[in-house]
Parts: sequence; structure tokens; C-alpha cells
Amino acid sequence: MSIEAINEQLLRAIGVGVALLDLKEFKFRFHNDTFAEWFGEPDADARLTDFFSSLDPEALREALSDGGRFATETTFKVKRRTMTVAMDFNRALDGGERIAVLVCQNITRIKELESMIDSYSMMVERNTRELKREKEQVEKLLLNMMPRSVYEEYKTFGVVTPRLYDPVSVLTLDFCGFGDMVATLDPGVIVSELNDIYSAFDRIGEQFGCERIKTIGDAYITVSGMPDAAPDHAMSVANAAIRFLRYLKQRNGSHPVQWQCRIGISTGAVIGSVVGVQKYIYDVFGPAVTRALRIRGHAGPMSVAADGEIAQLVEAKFNRISMGPRELVGGTETEIFRMEAVADQPQTYGSQS
Amino acid sequence: MEQTLFQKYGGFSKVSRIVLDLYNRLLDDDDIGPFFDDVDMARIVDHQTKFISSLLGGPASYTDEQISRMHHHLEIHTRHFDRLSEILAETLTDHGMTPQDVETVVQGFEQRRKLIVV
Repeated sequence: MSIEAINEQLLRAIGVGVALLDLKEFKFRFHNDTFAEWFGEPDADARLTDFFSSLDPEALREALSDGGRFATETTFKVKRRTMTVAMDFNRALDGGERIAVLVCQNITRIKELESMIDSYSMMVERNTRELKREKEQVEKLLLNMMPRSVYEEYKTFGVVTPRLYDPVSVLTLDFCGFGDMVATLDPGVIVSELNDIYSAFDRIGEQFGCERIKTIGDAYITVSGMPDAAPDHAMSVANAAIRFLRYLKQRNGSHPVQWQCRIGISTGAVIGSVVGVQKYIYDVFGPAVTRALRIRGHAGPMSVAADGEIAQLVEAKFNRISMGPRELVGGTETEIFRMEAVADQPQTYGSQS
Repeated sequence: MEQTLFQKYGGFSKVSRIVLDLYNRLLDDDDIGPFFDDVDMARIVDHQTKFISSLLGGPASYTDEQISRMHHHLEIHTRHFDRLSEILAETLTDHGMTPQDVETVVQGFEQRRKLIVV
């Protein structure tokens, strides 16, 4: 067998579709078995456009005229399977006659894989977005339970080191007659009202640099001076306390359910830490919290009570009216004061002098 | 966290082979193939990828409502469903999945029968 014959046999048997075309009329000069298998057997007068009607012969001729190449793709169905074939035209010379060599490669599998990767990528991207959204929700939830710096520590190390914060100021608040309200009002109404009021308190507290620690039923505790130390911590809680009262008065004017609160404020040291293993909360406790709770017990409805220490720290902007000595902790008596703002408009956090 | 079959059998790199194999077998099957006669290749592949991934607990999941909606226009009868179940089991077995895991996947598929068969 001659070399030419071997070459032709190889060309016929190869798994790539090969055809030779004259450039004048795009008639077939040669095609191999694979080409015929995919596109059918061209007869003597068959032209390229008979097989590929979407091909623009002028564009093809122009692309090949300066010795360039022309690449395109075609798809067709074999039974119910979509086949995609990449077609590559290259110009060649055959004894001075201009011809084009057409090489067709089956890229069906590549297309299928591309579709699969697209599909999979979209799934993964969607899941990633969902995970991110869930993570943000969890983060939001945890940030509602603890200060950001504590959350960052928890996220990084998985534990929170208990810390002593000194000095800080603590504001505790509860509602007069809450037990009766719970017994008489619809639970849904109670919760919705508390949500509304606590959200407002959180906003006001934030405005004055207070970090709300927790609510237990009708008890609300917020602290200033932690996690970051603040020189005006006492002024912050006093200002927030007066604003809480103003907010409630305003609200009672337009709401059917009337809320009367009592507030106790105190200053001193607290410990802040995540407490609990499975069901953990961030909590603060210590002398300042205990005193604020006891002082609150002596406050009248819609008033703020304080001890001498914090009253002295805020005397520039708050008048104190003595309520006399009261027993707070361990049987000792301490003078308690009702606090009233000197000015109608306490300045907001960050602009206090 | 419990490992999904998707993870156990090597994630997407392995599942991609199962998907393409299932795709070929379904298209070659004279009972099931006709359902894909007029469906664009990219859509079939997308469907198979999600189908296999979801059955193996991978990054895809369908709600019952979605499955119903996707198949409600098709005349899928019990024999078609049985045949697909058979092809699925054969494909998974040929790709080295244990009989127990194949059974788990086929059961997962079986649970959705009422959503697909007319």
C-alpha cells in the first residue's frame, strides 16, 4: 500500500470529520467516513450550503481569502441526542487550485459538561447566598444578645472571658402593675406592646451610649461604660432614663394601654460574661446591678431614683430631691434621691459637656 | 454533621460522571427517552445535575410543589417511573455505590412517585 493510500485510509477512519472543498463554488472534493456519518453522504454536485444552510458563503470566502481561517459551530439531533460539532475551515492550495480544508470536531461532551458546570455553579452560588443570609441572621440575633466586641471574641475563640468593668452606670426599669396587666390583657397584646416599648428604649439608649443587656419580662437593664469605657457613663444613663419617661408619657397619650415605669440608676462595678453552656446569654451582674435593682424598688411610678454617688456625678444637669434614707443592701441605710432634669432638652450622647 | 451520600461518593467530580452516564442511558431508553425529544440539551443536563445532586443530598433540593409543577404537563405513567427507577439503580450500582446506598437513593426517589405519575 502506498503512502498516499495509507494517508487516505487514515483520513477516512479518523474520528474527526474531514472534507475538502473548492473555494469557487464550495463543492465537495473529498470527505471522510466520519463526515458522512454525521452529515450524510454528499453527492457529486453537492455544495457546502446544502448541508449547512445557516452558513454564509460570502463571509466564509472573505475570511479565507487572505489565507485566514473560519470557525463556527453547528448543532443537530442524532435520534434525541443533541450533537454539537465545531467546524474549522482552513485555506490550502492543491496544485495552484484554491481549496478549503474543513475539520469537524465533535464537542458534544464538552457542551454537556459546560451545561453541567453551569447548573452546578448556579446551585452552589444560590446555596452560598442562602448560607450568607443565614449567617447574617444568626449574627443579628447574637448581636441582640451581646455587645459587638463580645460577639467578636465569641466568634473568634468560641468562649468569652468574663471581664470586670469599672466604673459603669446601670439603669434598671420595670412597670407598675405588670402582674395585673398580664392577667387581664391578651398575651399577644402584652408582647406586642413590650416589643414596641423595648425597641424604643433600645433606640433611645443607643443614642445616649447605653448598651441594653437584657429584658426579663417587664424588667429592662441597660448599662453605659461597657464594653468600652466611657467617662460620662453616669450622664448617659441619667439622660436615657429621663427620655424613657418622656417617651412613655407621650405614648400613653395616644395608646389605649397605659404603661407606668419605675427606674433605678446606680454606678459602680459589674462583671460581664456569657453565662450558660447550651442555652447561653450574655449577662452582667455585680454591685452596680444589685444597687440599681434595689433603688428601683424605691422609685415611684414614672420617676427615676438614684443613690448619692450617681446623683453627684450628674448634678450639673439633674436636680436631686431627697427621698430619705432607705435600706438597700445588707441592712445598711442609704439616702435615695428622685432625679429630675434641669433642662428640658438633655443633650445627646457624644455632645455632652 | 452526618455525611451526605454526595460527600461520601466524592462530591461533584464523581457525581458529574454519574449525571452524564444517567443522561446517556435515559436518552437511549425507548420508554424514557421520548420525554426528552423536544427538550434542549442544556436543560436536560441541568435537570439531571439537580436531580442526582438532590437525591444524594448535594447542593440542590426541590420542594414537592416544584416537582409537581415540573412534571404536571408530562404523561408519566407507572411504567415510566418504574423504568427510571431501574435505570437510576443500575447507573448508581455501576458507579460503585453500595447496594444499601442505592436503596436509600431509590427510596428517596420513590417517595416522590405520587408527585410525578399522572
